[in-house]
Amino acid sequence: MESIKLRKITSVWVITVLILFIVSITLGILMRLNQGEVISQSPVTFYSNLTTHGLTMIGIWFVAGMAAVNYLMQRYIKTSYAANVIALVFTVIGVLMLWTATFIGKFHAAWTFLYPLPFKEMGAATWATLLFLASLTVLGIGWLIWSISLMTQILKKYSIAQAFAWQHFKKNPKVETPPFILISMITLIGVIACLFAAVVLLVLFYAEYFSKGNFVNDALLMKNLTYFFGHTIANEMLYLGLAVIYELFSEVSGRPKWKTTWYVALAWNFTLIFVLTAFFHHLYMDFVQPEGLQIIGQLASYLASLPAAGVTVFSVFIAVYRTKIKWSLTNLLFFIGIAGWVIGGLGAVIDSTISNNIVLHNTLWVPAHFHTYNAMGNVLFSLGFFYWFSTQFSENSKVSKFTTLTLTLLLIGGIGFLLAFYFGGADSIPRRYSIYPSDFPMAAPMATIGATFATIYLIAILIFFFNIYKRCLKILFSPS
Amino acid sequence: MFKNIVFTIITIGFCIKGNAQTVSAEVKEERNIYEKIYDAPLNVAGKQQLSLHELYNEKPLLLALVFTRCSGVCNPFLLQLKENLQFRTKDNSFNVLVLSFDPRDSIKDMNLLAKKFDLENNKQWFFAVTDSITKLNQSISFNPVWDSVINQYDHDALLVGINSEGYITKKLIGIRRGHDMDLLIASVNNVFSPTYRLPSKNLLFSCFNYDPKTGKNKLGLGLIFIALPAVLTVLMLIFISYFVKHKRPEIEETS
Repeated sequence: MESIKLRKITSVWVITVLILFIVSITLGILMRLNQGEVISQSPVTFYSNLTTHGLTMIGIWFVAGMAAVNYLMQRYIKTSYAANVIALVFTVIGVLMLWTATFIGKFHAAWTFLYPLPFKEMGAATWATLLFLASLTVLGIGWLIWSISLMTQILKKYSIAQAFAWQHFKKNPKVETPPFILISMITLIGVIACLFAAVVLLVLFYAEYFSKGNFVNDALLMKNLTYFFGHTIANEMLYLGLAVIYELFSEVSGRPKWKTTWYVALAWNFTLIFVLTAFFHHLYMDFVQPEGLQIIGQLASYLASLPAAGVTVFSVFIAVYRTKIKWSLTNLLFFIGIAGWVIGGLGAVIDSTISNNIVLHNTLWVPAHFHTYNAMGNVLFSLGFFYWFSTQFSENSKVSKFTTLTLTLLLIGGIGFLLAFYFGGADSIPRRYSIYPSDFPMAAPMATIGATFATIYLIAILIFFFNIYKRCLKILFSPS
Repeated sequence: MFKNIVFTIITIGFCIKGNAQTVSAEVKEERNIYEKIYDAPLNVAGKQQLSLHELYNEKPLLLALVFTRCSGVCNPFLLQLKENLQFRTKDNSFNVLVLSFDPRDSIKDMNLLAKKFDLENNKQWFFAVTDSITKLNQSISFNPVWDSVINQYDHDALLVGINSEGYITKKLIGIRRGHDMDLLIASVNNVFSPTYRLPSKNLLFSCFNYDPKTGKNKLGLGLIFIALPAVLTVLMLIFISYFVKHKRPEIEETS
């Protein structure tokens, strides 16, 4: 009974995420067309769209990862259906509030909403800031309940040491922690920490908002907290996707299940420690931040990502190299997604190196790398899960004749769209401009090229959507 | 009763006027930053007529506004400026333009002023007049007021930094220390100048507290908030683990 309920709510998550994704991609294309001077949006509309696009994308791919992890975790432990429902309801309400604040209220302080921008109306409605902060509060509460619930369920079966797979540092461990549990636990800890950072941040925002000038915030503190939340959650949602891959890649490829070894345990424990301090690399330009924290930011960026990437790539390589693999759309998406994650991750590590950041800071290099590991990495992890999930309960689980076409469009669209960002970054074109000044003659043509390829990517996503949503609807409306 | 009302109105009037006049130098210095200065035609001593942009295009400018009949701040202001800059003789990254804002001043008066300060042969210094002083004053929010009783202008000692593209990068009001001059020169050369928020009663949770006397930062309460999320998470992990311990089954040992 419980698993049927879980199946149904997971279908709702899949459909919700895909619909919101299509809307968010469309907003992204409109922004690139505006930068390319093909269409004309007012700056307020552009930045409202930028805010909606950024926050919706972060939100949906986080919940997509959580929904997948929640679904697969049922194999090892009993999860809370109520927490899942609360998260879904709060997510839908939160997104509606966010969109009201941005589309109607014209709130446009970008997804980073760096202090004190939310308090500068600049053409937005007076109520928009409060609604925006309230939307983040609703989203945060829903996600925090869900994350704590999942963590609690893991701890009901595994001790802290077992959940972190510390016994694997010794020879012949008596208890084995599945890689899926290890990565999920480490990710949930990071998620909870960054959601607590969001709570502190929002409390400080509310305090200033309601104090009417009697209390003001410290810009450096607010920026640290914003990136503690924002950078960390953007990383953790990738790790949720990786937990799914550790669980499913070998299974759908017809290979033996991956096991936790000492180096897998070590790499992921490194991630647990260092991902919480990697956000300091967002503050290299803040001269008041002590130099020690800047150095920690650079080292943590390496130590949080490289070991985990190393063991994952090694595991996938071993799984596919000179091995007869049962390729399907699911493991193809996982495989391409890992390539996108690694390429985008390298771009991020390059940018997090202080000497490079001086050159790359706030150029199109930044959206280039984070779109690489999201649009061609994490999104593909979740799409792989969505496809696998939708075919689990379908009589018609044959590979669609459109599979090759879809993947081709996805690759051509995704790579072309990303290259327009990378070439723009190499040309020192700044990011976050609604209209480029004449000093950057290549900026507008690059943006138009980017929009064109992004449209091809959107077509691929639409094919995926029509392929998956019918099966999800069947699961949703099937008799209990 | 009527006298009281009149007295009250006069008092309020003076208070309002007084408040209007006491706009702090700090606020005035923030006006027009990163705006373009008016490109006034200049009559420069020892040179032909040229426009302001020809001067700032050549090198960034420090613009000092004075008048030759000034019996107040102009002379000590210029003297201090000359002294501050003479220790920076090797720094030829900027020029200095001394411009009269008094329409009565002629180029001959400015020549005499240059001679008085022994700057007439200094290639870094220009002395000039302009017939568009009103527009230029507006572009830098400089508002000298003529006082007919003392036959003098009531004005600020204003030094304006202009970069080579004509943007106002920094303004200094009053006779200032060498450190302020360093910041001004850095700004006209588009070099980043750090600024710090001064302590305030309303700012409770700073990460660092800047002491203007020592120029050093001390650790602040705000740093606790950065560590708080991680600390709360660890405490929650231990707390939950402890309270669900009894529900934990024996996990099968791996062979």
